[in-house]
Amino acid sequence: MISKDEIEYLAKISKISLTEDEAKKFPEQLDKTIEYIDILDELASDHSIILDLQEIKFDELRDDVVRMSGALPITRNLTEEGFLKGPKMK
Amino acid sequence: MSGLHDLQAYEVVEGIKQGLFSAEEYFSSVIKTLEHVESRLHSFITLDTDKALSCAKVIDGKLKANEDIGQLGGVVVGIKDNISTKGIRTTCASKILESYVPSYDATVIQRLKQNGAIILGKLNLDEFGMGSTTEYSSYYPTHNPWNLDYVPGGSSGGSGAAVAAGECTVSLGSDTGGSIRCPASFCSVVGLKPTYGRVSRYGLISYANSLEQIGPICRSVKDVVMIMNIISGKDNKDDTSMSSSPITINNKLEKFEIAIIKDLIDGSDDEVKRTIYSASEKFSDIGCMLDEISIKHLNYALPSYYTLASAEASSNLARYDNIRYGFNLPIEEYKWDTYFSDVRKNFGEEVKRRILIGSYVLSSGYYSKYYLKARGLRSLLKLELLKLFKKYDLLIGPTMPILPFKFGEKIDDPIKMYLVDINTVIANLAGIPAISLPVGFSNGLPIGLQIMAAPFEEQKLIDVSYALEQAINIQRRPKLE
Repeated sequence: MISKDEIEYLAKISKISLTEDEAKKFPEQLDKTIEYIDILDELASDHSIILDLQEIKFDELRDDVVRMSGALPITRNLTEEGFLKGPKMK
Repeated sequence: MSGLHDLQAYEVVEGIKQGLFSAEEYFSSVIKTLEHVESRLHSFITLDTDKALSCAKVIDGKLKANEDIGQLGGVVVGIKDNISTKGIRTTCASKILESYVPSYDATVIQRLKQNGAIILGKLNLDEFGMGSTTEYSSYYPTHNPWNLDYVPGGSSGGSGAAVAAGECTVSLGSDTGGSIRCPASFCSVVGLKPTYGRVSRYGLISYANSLEQIGPICRSVKDVVMIMNIISGKDNKDDTSMSSSPITINNKLEKFEIAIIKDLIDGSDDEVKRTIYSASEKFSDIGCMLDEISIKHLNYALPSYYTLASAEASSNLARYDNIRYGFNLPIEEYKWDTYFSDVRKNFGEEVKRRILIGSYVLSSGYYSKYYLKARGLRSLLKLELLKLFKKYDLLIGPTMPILPFKFGEKIDDPIKMYLVDINTVIANLAGIPAISLPVGFSNGLPIGLQIMAAPFEEQKLIDVSYALEQAINIQRRPKLE
């Protein structure tokens, strides 16, 4: 059973706030969903069955390539020096 | 001239090229239909009518100057609102993107425009593609043109309804777990989810990018072929895209070995069952062999799909931080946590549910219990299907296990809503192509047949769909007087 506290924690790490209505109905709804996907636990857990799971070594990665982006320049939340500004950490 | 909005895309192009009517005359006929029905259907979120009209005039001008108008010269196209269109607002039916105007076109849009297509506007969907009815659109639901009290399917519900009702001639949708095929089935139009990698996803706003593909929704198989040959192909902006051979309409059908997936029939409503069986009888009429099979891993497909799709959604949607674009909030007045959660409270309920489930299945302790198991199942299912495709050319079953249903019937019970996707998620998990073809009605509500093939075997899907389309002459246009 997923608890109200667990849902609050998931919301916190997902950076979303829930409305009163959502906070009330989500525990039951999410619980049902998790119960539904629980059937997956019956499957063997051998990772070797995952076809596309491959370990890529760092030196096998391609070199970085600098290309021009087609995106428009950012026009808001910029400092005078041109850095992107975010909300205060504390 | 009346009835031009009823034409198929290939007929539109031929008619304009032969001078039977002008691009502007055809365009006016489409707009007249749209003005007549849109207030009841709500297929569109944003219309770009003035720009579209000027594009139609450009096509007429080119024709007069003896210039090439392109393979889709003048055809009016609607685009699902999760595909980037330069200069046209792209909302994903979410409040969080209500004022977002992309600075670039998706590759599929570039290709359509280069071939003379006219982009009329952006079509409604469930927010970020998460849903099967359009009831999760943050703006309004789209109505089914065959019966306005019923849902049009989703998530590309606007794309299905608009094409069925003649508000545009063809449309693009996207399909993560059935989002093209479900509305195609519910609105009695043809919808194709291509093989993963056949069509570039550059500019498709990501929800679950290992599962989704852009594809066409049309009123005929011939139009599906026309659009697919334009939007398919390798794109340097999407590393998962691949080149593929063009597909064609063949008048002669090979003798295909076809298998009905028995489990999908057994799980369907009686009306659906009857229609699918009667449609499958036509396969022997057109010279195909019919067999019946079961899929061993089918029970795990939907739980696996919702685990993977939610996990990818929680990661993909983390990008909406409101820093570079979005609501105008005085950033200096906020603290780190409250700024982001205040902005992101604008996601709708279903999106929030999936983000939370996604965070849950990816968190330590649950990752190997759910996420890795789901990845494993995906591989097992794919191997099982590839083995079946060594014996059979095509696998068939109902696109949807049920008929279109009324608004509000499933909205309060997420699991009930998820269960309607049970037949369609298979193709996304395995990355294989699948088409939904209209094959009948029950009480005036459409029923679609799903046909699946091995990766990059779209030609087989098209061959059999075209033959079946000729054999089952189905009513194409809902009455919306």
